[in-house]
Amino acid sequence: MSTTAQQALVLLVGGLATGSVILRLARRRLLSTRYAIGWLVVGFLIAVAAALMPYVGRIGRLADMTPTAVLLTMSSVLLLAISVQLSISVSLLQERLRSTAEAHALLARRLDELEQRASV
Amino acid sequence: MPPSDPAALRTDGVLVVIPAYNERDCIADVVDDVKGAGYACLVVDDGSRDDTATIAARHGAAVVRLPINLGVGGALRTGFRYAVDHGHHTVVQVDADGQHVTEHVRHLLDALDDGDRDMVIGSRFLGEGRYRMRSVRMLCVRLLRLVIRVSGGVRISDPTSGFRAIRRPLLDAFAADFPAHYLGDTFEAVLVAARRGYRLGEIPVEMRERQGGRPSADLYALVQSMLRACTILLTGTTFDLPHRSGAGR
Repeated sequence: MSTTAQQALVLLVGGLATGSVILRLARRRLLSTRYAIGWLVVGFLIAVAAALMPYVGRIGRLADMTPTAVLLTMSSVLLLAISVQLSISVSLLQERLRSTAEAHALLARRLDELEQRASV
Repeated sequence: MPPSDPAALRTDGVLVVIPAYNERDCIADVVDDVKGAGYACLVVDDGSRDDTATIAARHGAAVVRLPINLGVGGALRTGFRYAVDHGHHTVVQVDADGQHVTEHVRHLLDALDDGDRDMVIGSRFLGEGRYRMRSVRMLCVRLLRLVIRVSGGVRISDPTSGFRAIRRPLLDAFAADFPAHYLGDTFEAVLVAARRGYRLGEIPVEMRERQGGRPSADLYALVQSMLRACTILLTGTTFDLPHRSGAGR
């Protein structure tokens, strides 16, 4: 088996495995639909990449890189993009959590004041 | 206004806000001091795991309990919102660890009125007291001062001080938006207020040794503050305030 075919096989298996793990997580409600869809797309793209392996070689020759290097570069960029996107989400969530916590504390205080006034 | 009781005039509409995180050893003394001086007192319990909130309430402070730890900035914004909701025009921020001397609260309020200012900072570096800082930390403070002078156009000797008096309209602006991250509540808030035309002032205050607990300022915090100051230079501030209306300095 040629190196390219081996890599394609690994990619295909990897893509399918990603997809099945994601589906399982989504069923157990550990992943919200939004992220489940995102990761399924990633899994699908990995599987598709397997079919496109011969073209990767050509791109590599254009850029004077080995096919492996091309794949690694592309996956690094993808991972970087996903991490940045998650960081943005987390920042937003932190801000929302902060506002919610503050509002919660002030409301609890107001409730205390009202109860005290009512019991007097 | 009734001129009969000048002390009541001083304390009227003023709320002393004390952000507290696991300060069970000191909080009672601080609350007693503040209440004793005749000020309304709000303790914002920043998700403490000890009984800080219970002790503060027992000593007569109004207490707001945050369900999770948000840091000083989060506790402060909660305090500012409480103050605005309850019709206070001025907030004095005091640390829960007993380092701040309560008599200075009056001096901060006087300085607000005298200079027609929006915020007056109690500075550890303007003479009174013998406040010592490690030289590395001092270097950092110098950097923060420089940034505020160049970018905000104000000379502030103690940009990380947690002892401040703030009044409307700056209080309203802070209640709407106030940074929660490290150095955001001190340095960045001062910088943005200065840039937006609010009038800032400073008076010397002395600091006591910590009454208990453990200082939160260590090497990690120092490195963070350095990085933070540099990041703000690169990316700009993380929050903004409306311009002070009619600000003509």
